[in-house]
Amino acid sequence: MEGVSMFSSNADSVLSRTVGSQALPTDHTQLDVVYEINRTLHWIKENGFKRVALQFPDELMGDAVSVTKQLERLVPEDARVFILGDTSYGSCCVDEVAAQHYNADCLVHYGRSCLSVPARIATQFVFGRLPLDLDDLADKVTVLFPSADANVILVYDSVFQYACDDIVKKLPQYTGISLSVLAIDKDKLQPDDKGSQIIQKCSRVIKIPQDKQLESYSFLYIGSESLTLTNLMYNFQSSTFFSYNPITRTGRKESVNVNKMLMKRYFMIEKAKDANIVGILVGTLGVANYLDILNRLKLLIKNAGKKSYVFIVGKINVAKLANFMEVDVFVLIACAENSLLDSSDFYKPVVTPYEMELACIPGREWTGEYPTAFGQLLEGGSHHMPVPDKVTGEETDVSLVTGRIRRSGVAGDVAMETGSALMVRDDTLTVATQAQSAGEYLSMRSWKGLEQKLGETPVTRAVEGQKGIAMGYQTEPGNP
Amino acid sequence: MVNFTVDEIRSIMDNKFNIRNMSVIAHVDHGKSTLTDSLVSKAGIIAGAKAGEMRFTDTRKDEQERCITIKSTAISLYYEIPKEDLCFIKQSRSPDGETHFLINLIDSPGHVDFSSEVTAALRVTDGALVVVDCVSGVSVQTETVLRQAISERIKPVLFMNKMDLALLTLQCDMEELYQIFQRAIENVNVIIATYEGEDSPMGSISVDPKDGTVGFGSGLHGWAFNLKDFAKMYASKFKIPEEKMMKRLWGDYFFDDASKKWVKMCSGDMTPLKCRGFNKYILTPIYTVFKECQEAEHSPELKEKALKRAEQLGVKLTSEEKETVGKVLLKTFMRKWLPAGDALLQMIVFHLPSPVTAQKYRTELLYEGPMDDPCAVGTKNCDPKGELMMYISKMVPTSDKGRFYAFGRVFSGTCSTGQKVRIMGPNYKPGKKEDLYEKTIQRTILMMGRYIEPIPDVPCGNICGLVGVDQFLVKGGTISTYKDAHNMKVMKFSVSPVVRVAVECKNPAELPKLVEGLKRLAKSDPMVQCTIEESGEHIIAGAGELHLEICLKDLEEDHACIELIKSDPVVSYRETVEEESQIMCLSKSPNKHNRLYMKARPMDPRLQKDIDDGNVTPRQEMKERARYLSDTYEFDVGEARKIWCFGPEGTGPNLLIDVTKGVQYLNEIKDSVVAGFQWATKEARCTVR
Repeated sequence: MEGVSMFSSNADSVLSRTVGSQALPTDHTQLDVVYEINRTLHWIKENGFKRVALQFPDELMGDAVSVTKQLERLVPEDARVFILGDTSYGSCCVDEVAAQHYNADCLVHYGRSCLSVPARIATQFVFGRLPLDLDDLADKVTVLFPSADANVILVYDSVFQYACDDIVKKLPQYTGISLSVLAIDKDKLQPDDKGSQIIQKCSRVIKIPQDKQLESYSFLYIGSESLTLTNLMYNFQSSTFFSYNPITRTGRKESVNVNKMLMKRYFMIEKAKDANIVGILVGTLGVANYLDILNRLKLLIKNAGKKSYVFIVGKINVAKLANFMEVDVFVLIACAENSLLDSSDFYKPVVTPYEMELACIPGREWTGEYPTAFGQLLEGGSHHMPVPDKVTGEETDVSLVTGRIRRSGVAGDVAMETGSALMVRDDTLTVATQAQSAGEYLSMRSWKGLEQKLGETPVTRAVEGQKGIAMGYQTEPGNP
Repeated sequence: MVNFTVDEIRSIMDNKFNIRNMSVIAHVDHGKSTLTDSLVSKAGIIAGAKAGEMRFTDTRKDEQERCITIKSTAISLYYEIPKEDLCFIKQSRSPDGETHFLINLIDSPGHVDFSSEVTAALRVTDGALVVVDCVSGVSVQTETVLRQAISERIKPVLFMNKMDLALLTLQCDMEELYQIFQRAIENVNVIIATYEGEDSPMGSISVDPKDGTVGFGSGLHGWAFNLKDFAKMYASKFKIPEEKMMKRLWGDYFFDDASKKWVKMCSGDMTPLKCRGFNKYILTPIYTVFKECQEAEHSPELKEKALKRAEQLGVKLTSEEKETVGKVLLKTFMRKWLPAGDALLQMIVFHLPSPVTAQKYRTELLYEGPMDDPCAVGTKNCDPKGELMMYISKMVPTSDKGRFYAFGRVFSGTCSTGQKVRIMGPNYKPGKKEDLYEKTIQRTILMMGRYIEPIPDVPCGNICGLVGVDQFLVKGGTISTYKDAHNMKVMKFSVSPVVRVAVECKNPAELPKLVEGLKRLAKSDPMVQCTIEESGEHIIAGAGELHLEICLKDLEEDHACIELIKSDPVVSYRETVEEESQIMCLSKSPNKHNRLYMKARPMDPRLQKDIDDGNVTPRQEMKERARYLSDTYEFDVGEARKIWCFGPEGTGPNLLIDVTKGVQYLNEIKDSVVAGFQWATKEARCTVR
C-alpha cells in the first residue's frame, strides 16, 4: 500500500532517526588547548566572577562535562561553574536571559559565534579549534588563485580564528592578501599606516590600502558552508567568493546566484508591502539594542497603516508560525546570521527588519545593498533613516502578488476608519479576503470556537471504538 | 474632416438620441483600420491643425510599422443626415427632429492575441460594424468577435470589404460575386443565430442587405454603398418607393426585360447573371466603370468614354484628375461616385442603436445590483440627471510616465471635472471598504485618436477619459456617485493569459524599476498579468506570443526603461479531473489525530458552463442554489446545500462539497480545508511542481 504510506510515516523510522551530528568527544589531552581553559581561567580570576555560566552548542555537548569538570577543578573555591540548558534561539548567540535565570555574572560561549555583542553580561568567546591542514589549504588556494598578485580578503569561520596568522604565513607569494579580523579583536589591527581604509561589516574588520577599491577584491572564506558565509555574501554582493572547506578539504568558487537570491528577497518585500497584519518575531534576547529595533519597527508599521503584533516563540519553526494564520508577514529580529531565514517552507514570508523598512518607508530605496544586522538601521548606524510621520492620505499602487490595488498609509477618511480591536459577532458577515487587524480576521472565520450544541446531541450508549494508537488504528486501510 | 470647438461637441453630446457608440470588429487583416480611415477623413472631429494625417487610429509607432492594430482607439465622428431620411431610423428618435449625429467609433485590433482590446471596446459601445473580407470570407476571428458582441448585446451591421480585390484580382463575374456575398452574409447570420438568445430583447439582429444592414465596397479605395443608395437612384425611374425598391435589389428578384416586370424565377432565356436585380442594377454599373477606367489608358477615345460616364453619373472630376488613367482614375472615380463615408455613416446612424435604445436592454447584463435601484434606473433610462454610473474599460497611457487616462463610458448621470465620486474596483462588494476609494475627478477629457481635449463634463451615453482616477484602479472598474451602488459586471475575455515568460533585470539594483515597470504594464493592457512568483521570478502572462512580444517591448522601452533578460515563452497547463478517484484519499493532521478523506470527481460540463455564465454562483442563496443543482444536475439536495466553496479565487468552476455525515466540529477545519482547496485549484499541483 504505497499510496497510504505517503500520508503517514512508518513508526520504525522514528526510532532509528538520529538527531543532529554528534562530534566525537575531544581527546583529553587536547581539551586544554581546544577550549582555551587557561585563558578562560585567567579571565574569571581577573574579574573575580563568582557564578560562571557555560553555553555549549549542540555539537559540542559531548565535551561539556569534561570542560566543566576541568574548570571546576581550577577556579577559586567560592566560584561556581555550570552548564546552561537548551538555548532559546540560535546557538550562535549568547543566551543572556538563560544566564540571568541562574544569576550568572559571566558567561563563556563555546563554539561558532555570530559575534553579536551582548548587552548585559560579561562574555568570553571560546571558539574552539577545528583541525586545519595548512599544506592542503595552500595547495587548494594556489589552484583557486593562479595569479600571485590577486587581491584577496581572507575571511574565516570563528573556529579557525586560532590559525589565521599561520594561514597568511603559509601563503607568502600573495602580496595582495588582506586578513580580516573579528570585531571583538579589533585592537589587534595595527593603526600604524594611515593610508588604508577600514571597513567593518558582519562583525569583521577589513583593512585594505586606500588606493584600492573593495570591488577589486575577491573573498576567500575558510570554513564549511554556513550562515556566516551567506551573510557575508549578502553584505559584499559585488565581490566574488571562494571557499575552502577544511573538513572536506575542498576549495571552490561560490556560485550562488546572488541575483536570484535578491529577486527572492524582493518578492518578500512586495509581500510585506501587501501585508496588513505584521507579526514581529523576537528571535533574540541577547543582541544589543533589540528593544530599540522592536520599538522602531512597531512605530514604523503603525505609521504605515498596518497593524503589528509581537511574538516570542523561541526557536522558529514552520508549525509554530502556522498557528497564526491571520498574520500576513513576519519580521524577524535576530542576530545578523539568523535574520536571513530561508522562508520558502513557511506559510507566510519571514523578512528582515531592513526589508520591512523598505516596505514601510516610502523614501527608502532599494539599491541591492543588504544590511543584515539591524544595528545598522538604528540611529547612528550606516543605514539609518528617520521614521516617517504618519502617512495620511492614502497612497495606492498595484500589488504584483495579488494583482490588486493596495493602499499604503493610514486611511485619511474618518468614515473609513472603524474601531476593529473589538468586533461584533455578526453571523451575516460575508467572507472577505483582507483584514486590517486580527480581530477583523477572527470575525471572518467561519469557526470561532467550539460549538457546544447543548441538548442537540442525543445521548447514546457507549460503543466499542477504534483500536490502536492514533498514529494508525488497526481498522484503518493500509494497516495489516 | 470636421472642425468643431469643444463647446460645439459638448452640445451634440446632450442629444442622447443622436449618439451612436460603435466598434469596428473583424478578423485580422480584413481592413478595419483602413476603413476607419476613410470614415475619419470624411467625418472625423479633430482640431483643425492636425487634419490630414494618415492611419489615424494606429497611434503607436510599432502599429504603423507592422501595419497591425494593437490597441483599440476611439475617435468621434460627426454626421448630418437629410431631414427626410429621419424616417429610416426605426428606434426612438430625438423629439425635436435633430439631424446632427455624434458617432463614437472604436477601431479594434483583429489579431486574436489582442482580443481583450476588442472585449474592452465592445463593453463601451452599443453597435458593431463587422468587417468581412469578401475574398477570404467569414474567418475564425470574425466568429469570435461576433459571438462576443452578441453576448454583450451589441447590435451588428455588416460590411463586405475589399470588393476592388474581387473585381481586379480575382476577376469574378457578377453572379459569382453575388454568390460570394450571399454566402458570407449567410455565414454571419448562422453565427448570429447560434449565439443569439431565443427571445433577445434586442429584437432580430440578423443582417440583411434588403434592410440596409449590409454595406459593400472597398476601404482601401474609399468607396462603399448599400442597397439604399442604389434604391434611391432607381426609385424615381421605376416609380417604386425606396424601401420597396431595396427588396427588389437583393435575393431572387429578376427583371424580365421582355415583360418589363419583376419576377421571382428565371425563365426562358433569362439568366441570373444578367437579370438578377442586384447584378443588373448595382453590379453592372460598377463593373462598367471598372472596365472603362482601366481601358482608358489604351486610347484617348476610350478615355473620353470613361469621362463621359463620369458626367453621366454626376461625378465631378477636376481637370487634374481627368489626366489620370487606370487604377488612379478608377479610385477617384469610385470615391466620388460612391463615397464610403456617406454609405457607412448612414448605415451606422440608421441601424445601430442609440444609447437610449441600447441601455434599456443592456442594463440587466451590465449591472450587478438590483434592477430597481437608482443606478439601474438611471442606466436604463440613460438619464443625465440620474446618479453617475460609469464603467472604465481600459487605461490609456499618457505622455506623463506612469500615469494613465481612465477610458470608459458614462451610462447614467453626468461625469464632470471636480466631481467627488466613488471608485470601485472589481473586488468591491457593497457595504465593504475593500477596493473602494472616494476621490475627485481631476479632469474629464475627450479622447480622439491620438489627441485629447479637456471638456468640462460628459453626459451619459458618451465615451470619455478621466484624469486622476488611474491610481485607484488596476485595469478597470466602476465609478459612481451613489453610495449603495453595486459594480458593473467585469468583462469576460474570450482568451486567457496562458503564455508566460519570466523576465529578469541584468542588475539587481534595478529591481524596483522592473517592478514599477511591470505595474505600469499591468495597467496599460486589459489582459496581461504581471506577477512575482515565490521564487522571485517576475512573470508576464499574455494571450499569445505576439501579445507578449508587444508587452515586453513596451516594458523594456516605455515602462521600465532597463535592459531585461527574458526567458522563452511557455504555455501553462492545468489538469482536468476526468474520472472519479479510484481510492478514497486520506490525509492526517500533523498530530495524526484527525483524518481527512477526499475524493475528486468530474462535474457535468453543463454545470461548469452554468458557473462560468453566472447561473450558479457562490453568492446565490444557498437553498435556492441547492434546489437548482438537484433539479438540473441530480445533486443530492442535502449535499448541494453543503457546498463549502468554489475555486479557484472563490468563484471558479470547481466545487468543494462536504459530504460527511455526523462528524462533529467540522467547522473547526473548514477554513483550512477551503484555503487548501483554493490553492490546489489555482496552482494545478502536477503542472507547477
